[in-house]
Amino acid sequence: MTFLLDLAIVTVSCLALGLASKYLRQAAIPAYIIAGILLGKSGFNLITSYEFVQWLGKIGVILLMFYIGHEFNFKGISEPGRVFTGCTDFFVNFIAGFSLGLLIGLSPLEAFILASAVYISSSAIVISSLIENKRLIYPEAETVVWLMVFEDIILAILLVVLTSIMSGSLAMIPVSLAKTLLFIVFILVLIRRLSNFISPLFERDDEIPILLIFALIFGFSAIAHRLIVSEVIVAFFLGSALSGVKSFRNLFGATISFKNLFLTIFFFSFGMMFQFKFETLSSADFVLALTALITLSILGKFVSGAIIGKTVHGSLETGLRVGAYTTPRGEFSIVLLAVAVGMETGISELLLSLVVAYVIILSIMGSFFAKHGNRIGRTMIVGINKLLP
Amino acid sequence: MRISELPEIGTKYEIESPKGDKVAVIFLTTGEIELYVLEAGAEKPSVTRLTSEEARRVGSVLTGAMLTIEREDVEVSFSEISDLRINIHVCPVTKYVIGKSIEDLAIRKKTGVTIIAISRRGQSIISPPPETVLEEGDLIVVIGEHEQIRACAREILGVK
Repeated sequence: MTFLLDLAIVTVSCLALGLASKYLRQAAIPAYIIAGILLGKSGFNLITSYEFVQWLGKIGVILLMFYIGHEFNFKGISEPGRVFTGCTDFFVNFIAGFSLGLLIGLSPLEAFILASAVYISSSAIVISSLIENKRLIYPEAETVVWLMVFEDIILAILLVVLTSIMSGSLAMIPVSLAKTLLFIVFILVLIRRLSNFISPLFERDDEIPILLIFALIFGFSAIAHRLIVSEVIVAFFLGSALSGVKSFRNLFGATISFKNLFLTIFFFSFGMMFQFKFETLSSADFVLALTALITLSILGKFVSGAIIGKTVHGSLETGLRVGAYTTPRGEFSIVLLAVAVGMETGISELLLSLVVAYVIILSIMGSFFAKHGNRIGRTMIVGINKLLP
Repeated sequence: MRISELPEIGTKYEIESPKGDKVAVIFLTTGEIELYVLEAGAEKPSVTRLTSEEARRVGSVLTGAMLTIEREDVEVSFSEISDLRINIHVCPVTKYVIGKSIEDLAIRKKTGVTIIAISRRGQSIISPPPETVLEEGDLIVVIGEHEQIRACAREILGVK
């Protein structure tokens, strides 16, 4: 019965730290990772079966991607300035992350992973802070929400590229890319074809609808695994395909509850596997790299925000607010890293420690930035005006 | 009015007055409704979160559809026909009418009141046919003049 003990440790510790973080009005994601670090391999080592907790965590990642895929719609892409906004955010921050990665001695592949982690903001933190801090009436709220949508599009592309590159030799990249794309098309077509058949099943009152969803999710994930296609990408497109099935909407709430539970376990499991080595973390090189990374990430978002604000809203101050709101990084940076680690092609200790520390710090700092976005924007404008009379 | 979709948040409806005041209504995906008011030049908006029931009430007040609510009475007026007022009254059935049909009771004939709906165990029957038999626990919704409704309560339902 040790699995019950493991489950109790995970849920109780996450509940306690999660509650504490909500009480302190902080993002919960770092709390769950820290719970994992404290009780896992580098901490008190209380977990009996690390494998079991990791399995549950993997379900969380699959459900998160399923959720993002379902919510994902690019209807807004045709509105003026939208593509420009999204691309500015991507290029400024990705290039900044990539260059810094190379500078601190990572391989190009690792720099790519780092750049992705640097680029992608945390939709969860950003969106909840927009609502909590009552920003929805301002025009930049739409821009920020759009950026989150655009980042989801890029995330899907980054994941496809990343898993293809990591699939093996250079010659294998086009093969693996083609395989992934074919499988995605297969899912989209299949769900559309079957939608008349599936749709009534989702309207039932019994356990059939939820069983059907998990059968689809696990079924396609298993096939994907067999074909060596990434299951998180498959989950993303499955979610997006199912959003076309009308009656699925009623059931979506139930899948969100499952996602919330398993995703929390994922953050814990990520923390618990983390090899916390004090010598590495306290070395001057590491501290320097981390400080540079954090400074660059915050600056990057302010620069991209400023460009967006100036061109789309005609106001630098609005742009700086966009930058402040999009500073938090979180779940996606961790998911990207977890997918890369899962490919087992040897991610260096440095990158792993760097991203974990990075996400913990930037999710906390980012929430602060998002909360005081107004004041930060105004102060920066005052500062800029003083410097450039 | 500007309408915009905010994915993962909801739908935003926004109005700006000539003075520059802004009002936004956001239908959150959670089913709740947020009402924002931002006065021109103000630092921060005022925000309140309403349930759909509360939002409906606020909405009725703003459109002027509802004038008074006195316990179970609702008076409805219409912005297009300003002198038309309709009194709607909700009353529980009493032992005097349970088991009888609307036709048998001849409510309309005796008092001039019309039953427009019955709420039965959370389900509503709109425009019930005359042969509908009233059951214990039903709530009946009637329209009529104040006098007629009072007569109905007294003579048919036996309420003093």
